Amino acid sequence: MIRKIGQKILSFPPRLLLVSLSILFSGILTAQQKEYSFNSPGSKCYFNYVCFTADSNYTMKRRPFIFILGEENVTARELFERDTLKNSAQFMNYYFVYLPGSGTTGGHKLGCIEALASLLTYNFRYGRSNLFFQVNDTIIKRNDINLHGLRTVFKSIRFSAEDNLLAENGLGTGAIQDDFKEAVSEYGPEEKVVEDLAKYYVEETDDYVSEYDTVEEKPQKIFFGAPETFNYTLTGIIHDQSTGEALPFASIRILGTIIGTTTNTDGYFTLLKVPTDTSTLIVQYVGYEKTPVFLTPMAPKKNLSINIRPQSQTLSEVKITAYKDDVVFVKKAEVSTIKLTPMKMEQLPAIGERDIMRSFQLMPGISASNESSSGLYVRGGTPDQNLVLYDGFTVYHVDHLYGFFSAFNSNALKDIQLYKGGFESRFGGRISSVTEITSKEGNQKAINFGFDISMLSTNLFVEIPAGTKFSSFLAFRKSYQGSVYNLIFNKFNRSRTEDAPDVGTGPGRRFSQNEDIYSYFYDLNGKLTYKPTDKDIISLSFFNGTDKLDNSFSSDIPSFGQFNANFSMNSVDLTSYGNIGTSLKWSRRWNSKLYGNTILSYSNYYNKRDRSSERNLINPGNESSTSMSGIFENNDLKDYSLKSDYQLEMTSFSQFQFGTFATSYDIKYSYALSDTATILDRDGRAILGGAYLQNRIKLLKDRLQVLPGIRLNYFESTDKFYIEPRASVTFNITDRLILKGSTGKYYQFANRVMREDIMSGSKEFWILSDGNSVPVSSSVHFIAGFSYEAENYTFSAEGYYKKINNLTEYSLRINASPIRMDYNENFFNGYGYSQGLEFLVQKNSGNLNGWISYTLGEAKNQFNEYSDDYFPANQNVTHEFKIVGLYKYRRWDFSANWIYATGRPYTAPSGAYTVTLLDGTEQDFFTVTAKNSILLPDYHRFDISATYKLLMGKKGDKRRRELGFVSFTLFNVYNHRNIWYKQFTIVEGEVIETNINYLGITPNFALSLKLR
Amino acid sequence: MKLRLLIYILGAITGLTACIERDNSEFTDIPIIKSYLRPGDCLRLNVSRQIPFSYNVSYSSDDIDDLKITVTNNNIDYILTPLGGGNYIDSSLIVAEGERYDLFCIYNSKNVTAYTEVPLKPFNFKQSATSISVMRMDSTTVPTGGGGMWVMPEPLKLTWVNNDDTYYILVIENMEETLDPVRDFGDDKMPEWRFRKAPTTSSGIQMRPQEFQYFGNHRIILYHVLPDYASLYDENTASSQNLTNPSTSIMNGYGIFTGLNADTLYLYVNEQ
Repeated sequence: MIRKIGQKILSFPPRLLLVSLSILFSGILTAQQKEYSFNSPGSKCYFNYVCFTADSNYTMKRRPFIFILGEENVTARELFERDTLKNSAQFMNYYFVYLPGSGTTGGHKLGCIEALASLLTYNFRYGRSNLFFQVNDTIIKRNDINLHGLRTVFKSIRFSAEDNLLAENGLGTGAIQDDFKEAVSEYGPEEKVVEDLAKYYVEETDDYVSEYDTVEEKPQKIFFGAPETFNYTLTGIIHDQSTGEALPFASIRILGTIIGTTTNTDGYFTLLKVPTDTSTLIVQYVGYEKTPVFLTPMAPKKNLSINIRPQSQTLSEVKITAYKDDVVFVKKAEVSTIKLTPMKMEQLPAIGERDIMRSFQLMPGISASNESSSGLYVRGGTPDQNLVLYDGFTVYHVDHLYGFFSAFNSNALKDIQLYKGGFESRFGGRISSVTEITSKEGNQKAINFGFDISMLSTNLFVEIPAGTKFSSFLAFRKSYQGSVYNLIFNKFNRSRTEDAPDVGTGPGRRFSQNEDIYSYFYDLNGKLTYKPTDKDIISLSFFNGTDKLDNSFSSDIPSFGQFNANFSMNSVDLTSYGNIGTSLKWSRRWNSKLYGNTILSYSNYYNKRDRSSERNLINPGNESSTSMSGIFENNDLKDYSLKSDYQLEMTSFSQFQFGTFATSYDIKYSYALSDTATILDRDGRAILGGAYLQNRIKLLKDRLQVLPGIRLNYFESTDKFYIEPRASVTFNITDRLILKGSTGKYYQFANRVMREDIMSGSKEFWILSDGNSVPVSSSVHFIAGFSYEAENYTFSAEGYYKKINNLTEYSLRINASPIRMDYNENFFNGYGYSQGLEFLVQKNSGNLNGWISYTLGEAKNQFNEYSDDYFPANQNVTHEFKIVGLYKYRRWDFSANWIYATGRPYTAPSGAYTVTLLDGTEQDFFTVTAKNSILLPDYHRFDISATYKLLMGKKGDKRRRELGFVSFTLFNVYNHRNIWYKQFTIVEGEVIETNINYLGITPNFALSLKLR
Repeated sequence: MKLRLLIYILGAITGLTACIERDNSEFTDIPIIKSYLRPGDCLRLNVSRQIPFSYNVSYSSDDIDDLKITVTNNNIDYILTPLGGGNYIDSSLIVAEGERYDLFCIYNSKNVTAYTEVPLKPFNFKQSATSISVMRMDSTTVPTGGGGMWVMPEPLKLTWVNNDDTYYILVIENMEETLDPVRDFGDDKMPEWRFRKAPTTSSGIQMRPQEFQYFGNHRIILYHVLPDYASLYDENTASSQNLTNPSTSIMNGYGIFTGLNADTLYLYVNEQ
């Protein structure tokens, strides 16, 4: 109330009125002072002091300070009560600090004052030009001031005992109104707040490094007093300082302990056992500076807002890291989790685009030798067994352009977590792994936009905040038929030219062939975020990715054959596929212990393929006949979901997470060879619903974390309940060494089934389990491992075993029944397992950093129809070795990676036999090797890239805003012919084997520019 | 130091991978079984070995003429008698319409199994004409008749009952001892005296008179076949991604073990 009145009056009143009012209210104002202790009893600097501001605002530090040191043996309280300066109209907006006149020597007192001044002014955040010191203690001499360096701390120092004495060198220059006059223009770097809206880069010439080090404002401990609150609960949110984006899954640890937590998807955290309100928090997030946060009794204990800075200044950290739970985060060790932030992904070599999926493929346990799949092969699992969640909705297909690029535009993404196995109960519906993607909310402080252009696509994004409660983000990317696009497109369609009609070019025969191919992909990402209160966040996210691949052609062939008949042929080869997804999410912090969010989402994946020929024959009698044949394939998946997730901090050692979910599936698949010959036509509709409960328990002084959980599903198609018990455990043997383990049962209700195809290549389609021909697949995981944090290195190793049941494949080559023709019977079911060991050594500091990983793996399946025994699964890779090096030199980032993987298995023709048909002709057939019994040659490639930062300003400027980058990548530097697959043609009993190769040496250039 | 460490690691990995045992068992000796089960005939089959694409393959020690092949029908096991050359017979086992036959033998230590059922005789097989006329052509014949209106000859319609979308295949054979071609083939290779139409699940087919290459008596055989036989007519291409071979009911074996049934009509091709 008082503040309100004061503000009003201050805004426009005659000074006289103000003075009289301030006197009038002075009696009340005295009640607003605050008394604190500085340091603990026993400390040389232990004393009580009193702070006072007329407006009761003790957090606003951009104002003048007057420190008053009392006479000998006068307490701070007494001094405060005696003081009249605070009633002066001139000093209405000043911050007064009253110090007791204690101690025996001047040094005793003065030695503590700079620390206190630093504490109260947030480490002199707004400079020192408005800090004033009034010394009432007569013991203190000018020499004492000089001795303790206080001349540099305060702008003016006055001695009451020497009142009116003109001191030398600024020690009092006349009237107090002049000496302690506020100099508004002299406040420190206020513009710094504006500066931090962008990423900055410091020219690392030798000159500037040293200068920068002294200028850079580092957080420092500023409170040396005794704590006031013990073992309390602290809640807060972590933001990116430059954009205001909340940071999900950031780690917070209390320095000197192993107490810690991570933020949730909305950036909120709850720390239950903060020992004192003077503890120090260490906040860490990939791609950001490791930031200490010094708590003080004055800091808020609820909704503490912590801002951390992107790592632009240091540019030395590894951008992707096994969520290594290093010495800082030992407490929150997660099993088999990798975290990635797209912030500096441009540093890694890329074929055409920065790509999150490709970046993950450089980590152990994730296959890197499938250039034609952006979907992740995690620990012997197939991409459909990896749950991809984008802002809460499931994405069913992640490929662009035959899989060479992922559907995710890295400009739109904020955070990606990959759980390679043994994942928690809050995730479900997949049997291998989880990729959880959080998109950007958009800059919350200022408008931002940018664009990228590469030899594959152009990419635009814009971020528009509106007020403090609303932010928006929109990104659009579209390919163009540049060199990289064509390289891949043509590679995939090389057979196209061979499909041209072979009609010869003899006399009287002529044909024309028109090819008008237009193919592209695009994607659109957007998000609107509204924060109506401090406790609520409402966000609407949408995503649309589309690929259109057109490889059609038409031919007109007059005078074809022996009759004068006109023949024309239209060959259509049109594939269009994509995703449309959207989610509406409401998050709410109900109180400091309960946090929840509810997501309503829709996801649609569609894939339409029309590879057909329309033949038009017009005979001389003008009778025309039209025939159509080919492949018509249509897969349309719709997923409507509603789910709620809650997090309840029950006690300091137990956190419950629980939730419910319901999904309505509608998955259609049809496959036809002509208008009339339909092979498969399925429409699966069912509801999947359920609930989960998990409890994160911390024992043995937080060294042991156990996470048991259970997930219950009800699936309408089978009318059955499916129970998934899961558990994980991490144990900190020391602060550096962590043992981890997890196990769990997993079910999958919507599966992507492979359909073998003779002419057009195998295709996969999504289909809903029906409990019969396509059973509900399941797996059991067992994972154990350890990680060790050395000074600059992380070592980790994990072993896994995964048992999989009810795998499904679709094949027309095996006759389910030689008697009845029912294509619905051509679903075959089997089982399998995968097992392996993963090793990772990561260097995570210094100009040269990177990692080395090695995976020993095995994935085998067993289908009775294929073989009596286990055979290697298509994705089986025995050895995979990856080395990634990143080197920073001034504005350059260089990187290189080398990937080596043993070849994947395949099946080949092994022999032939002849059958005499009923018409007497003899037909040759071939036999095949045992399923997947042969290995392709080993896969290896070496990629390099160089990225040069583009900076605003001119050379010599101390800090230069990052404007973007140019990057040059050379993919497959030594042009190794990696084999994608082999093609066999049997001509007159001879097998002609053709290697279809992956990309050879491919250069790419990219330019990225942005406003901030 | 770091470089040395890296070299050690690389060396270790390379050494490790060098020791990987490659399973190059590209060839597996699996038998080829061929048998058409026609009602009224005794059961015959032929067993043979694959012709390998590569040299240096090793066959199993099993004697192709000394296999114990069992065919079970109506719970009675019949052990086939070898005739040499991979041929086997059981003259006591007369194949009957609608019956199921199960085959079993052991080859290369694996159980080879197959089964089939003999389909029903085609029902109500009819033709729209018992004779058709085709113009004799030589190298000077112009089909348009020198600018006059060319009349499309009436097609031959063959129909049968197929209510369950099962497979049928037509084989047309010229029955004349001396072949009388409808046109002068010159140096070209003469067409076969019999030809077939692609398998169909329809209940009829139309044939243009031009499809007949010879004059005279023809036998039109309509076979009622099973899907595994029909699949022999699928096209053959393959790659390591989508390798395929004809669908068969034979487990641990290749070839064809299928029942079939037939009905026959006759047609005379006249000169126009």
